[in-house]
Amino acid sequence: MSDRITVEELSELMKRTAGIAVSPQELAERPDIAFEELGIDSLGLLGIVGELENRHGMPMPPDAEHCKTPRKFLDLVNNTLLAGA
Amino acid sequence: MSEPPKRRAAVTGIGVVAPNGTSTESFWKSTEEGLSVLDRITREGCGHLPLKVAGEVRSFDPSAAVEERYLVQTDRYTHFAMAAADAALEDARLGRADTEGAPFSAGVVTAAGSGGGEFGQGELQKLWSKGSRYVGPWQSIAWFYAASTGQISIRRGFKGPCSVVAADEAGGLDALAHAARAVERGTDVIVAGATEAPLAPYSMVCQLGYRELSPVDDPARAYRPFTEGACGFVPAEGGAMLTVEEAGAARERGVPVRATLAGHAATFTGASRWELSREGLAEAIRGALAEAGCAPEEVDVVFADALGVPEADRAEALAIADALGGHGRRVPVTAPKTGTGRAYCAAPVLDAVAAVLAMEHGLIPPTPNVFDICHDLDLVTGCARAAQVGTALVLSRGLMGSNSALVLRHGAVGAP
Amino acid sequence: MTRRVAVTGIGVVAPGGIGAPAFWDLLADGRTATRGITFFDPTGLRSRIAAECDFDPVAAGLDEEQVARCDRYIQFALVAGEEAVRDSGIDLAGENPWRVAVSLGTAVGGTTRLENDYVLVSHRGERWDVDHHRAQPHLERAFTPSTLASTVAERFGARGPVQTVSTGCTSGLDAVGYALHTVEEGRADVCIAGASDSPISPITMACFDAIRATSPNNDDPAHASRPFDNDRDGFVMGEGSAVLVLEELEHARARGAHVYCELTGYATFGNAYHMTGLTSEGLEMAQAIETALDHARLDGSAIDYVNAHGSGTRQNDRHETAAVKRALGHHAYDTPMSSIKSMVGHSLGAIGAIEVVACVLALAHQVVPPTANYETPDPECDLDYVPRAARERKLNSVLSVGSGFGGFQSAVILTRQRERTR
Repeated sequence: MSDRITVEELSELMKRTAGIAVSPQELAERPDIAFEELGIDSLGLLGIVGELENRHGMPMPPDAEHCKTPRKFLDLVNNTLLAGA
Repeated sequence: MSEPPKRRAAVTGIGVVAPNGTSTESFWKSTEEGLSVLDRITREGCGHLPLKVAGEVRSFDPSAAVEERYLVQTDRYTHFAMAAADAALEDARLGRADTEGAPFSAGVVTAAGSGGGEFGQGELQKLWSKGSRYVGPWQSIAWFYAASTGQISIRRGFKGPCSVVAADEAGGLDALAHAARAVERGTDVIVAGATEAPLAPYSMVCQLGYRELSPVDDPARAYRPFTEGACGFVPAEGGAMLTVEEAGAARERGVPVRATLAGHAATFTGASRWELSREGLAEAIRGALAEAGCAPEEVDVVFADALGVPEADRAEALAIADALGGHGRRVPVTAPKTGTGRAYCAAPVLDAVAAVLAMEHGLIPPTPNVFDICHDLDLVTGCARAAQVGTALVLSRGLMGSNSALVLRHGAVGAP
Repeated sequence: MTRRVAVTGIGVVAPGGIGAPAFWDLLADGRTATRGITFFDPTGLRSRIAAECDFDPVAAGLDEEQVARCDRYIQFALVAGEEAVRDSGIDLAGENPWRVAVSLGTAVGGTTRLENDYVLVSHRGERWDVDHHRAQPHLERAFTPSTLASTVAERFGARGPVQTVSTGCTSGLDAVGYALHTVEEGRADVCIAGASDSPISPITMACFDAIRATSPNNDDPAHASRPFDNDRDGFVMGEGSAVLVLEELEHARARGAHVYCELTGYATFGNAYHMTGLTSEGLEMAQAIETALDHARLDGSAIDYVNAHGSGTRQNDRHETAAVKRALGHHAYDTPMSSIKSMVGHSLGAIGAIEVVACVLALAHQVVPPTANYETPDPECDLDYVPRAARERKLNSVLSVGSGFGGFQSAVILTRQRERTR
């Protein structure tokens, strides 16, 4: 498994765990759009964090569930994965 | 000082997601024609179970009815409820703009028998096969009995009284009564009703313990109340929501009042104590008629509970006679649910919908699959019967012992 | 003539004590009943603590058949119901049964039992097409929570309106509120009202884990439930039941019953905002409080104590503080407000009724129960939370509030000596 989360993976996670469809292109083009605006609420983000923790077998930092945008989320999660690798 | 005029609860909108139709029009067409849609259960993972026949909602496409996120975040029973609520509010021409200015004057009431069982089974499976960390965030809000009320309130911006009766069958009528009373106390509009989705494998296993469940595999013979062939009931999924609105508020909006929720009463006589339900149901009928200010002779049709258990059918026939006197043997009685099955709490709500439509069409729908009545009742069978219907009495009893009666009057009542 | 509704009997099954006297001792002493989970092996869970009841159904008076047929949450309600009926001194056999109602709340009903049997029929989660041969007797009674009110009604011979209320964590307040309406509006003269839940099972713990709502303070369970404290980190799961006998006041007086207090106000609203999230303004809870005050014909200044929802989650305690300030104005600062969840945990649907009984007892003893574990103030929670020690105070009208998933906000008011302030 890759040790970096891509916009493709985030897009897939959003769709599968929260039922929110946003294309990887859109995430790449608008990384600073608020999750809330995309329809990902606090529970949706928790679901994504939980799924990532299960996939990678490691805990994500508590701040992950408070990230407001895809960019912040990917930065934080990828730094964590990098440090843990 | 003169008393303020009594606030009256009116039905101004109907939304249906039923085994025999997922719109009010298609539901009425099937109901009026006496079509039976009882059939072999086809839902995944259910084929091996000894319960073979049910009323499935097959023409419902959840992805067309609700936003994609709800498909992931909520159970099938909530999909039904959201779709039915949308339809009921649209039917009442009640848009966002109508409630935005006064969100506390619009509320939601649902009855729920078993909640989001299919969703819950999925999360239980993750927990026990993979571990607690695989339980997702939606279990906490999808499975519980209040899921539909909460989601509808949020989706429609309704901040008014939000209630949930977690009930047996009769609770569907109790939910409508709850809505009516909230309207009488001061809320302008409540979207109220019930939906159920009990046809998932584990939910079905749970129902196998009901001794009233029909063991018959032939869909045409499985659910035949009031006959010598009565052998229990057949379950169903789906349901209906009604827009219950203060009659004056409806008038101000220029929306026609389709029916008035005129009276209701509920009693309890013990789980599966069907002989006792005679007294309980009769008492509920008397209470509902008294609240409606309705003489027994004014009742133009009775929508029976029609459980299909001989002892219970007898008790119901006698209760109708006890409460309505001689009129009880003359009044047309019908049980369209023999064509759809009993969707638990939702069953009597569908009956209330059929009652409103019967009043509007001047047509009493028949009781599918039922012939050769063995009780002293004028049960409408075969085809629909033309009749002036101004007052309908809807009856329901639950497996846990509740009895409930609702009186509906055609159009507005006591309007100044 | 308005019908008034009296509380004439109470019964409680709560963590730390079975029966109202033991329950009140715990609250008055400010002791906590939260501990590491003993009901199952909680390894792997984020929150492994709970407020469990040490409950022996046979010792509590139930017979073998009741124990066999009834899920734990129904056993609780039967025991609390017996206590309440006994306490009220009412002879139910002498009452008109059609005028006796039941209104009981539960959030998750038979979930614990449903999970136990699920494990059997699914071969520990292996199969979707579950094996019905492995199901245990009476499973159908767990399938629908209406079994709760039905079983209690059968026990006490009630034949009036019998309902189970399930509005998540406001179920207990709402069940009491519906009972108030039922008696006040004349559909019954007596109502056995309350709530029960026994949610301490893997699936319920796991689902709150998943949304980080429960406290992960596993190293110090006794101090884990910290409502309004700046170091709070979620609620601690609880279980239990409380039942009240509510009676039309003249009916109670006619039989010379002891009247604890009157139930004078109730209201519930939705926030139409989020299934689990709360706004920081508390507008809808404030609306519930104001409407309940209208119902009770009281001004906010008449409230002498607020029994808080006080779950101990970050957002709840701020939301609630804002709501109470919005509804009571400056009077909020002069009014003690405490959360007994600091001691008995959060028993989901049951807790609202347990808190109403705590209010009845507070009025009876003229003592405000404390918020245990409250040490460090949160700048955004700036009311008087009655830290750690109970307080004597003249109490006449008290308010109990609750918030639940679905966005529900409910308020109940109890009054000792009724005197209209408006």
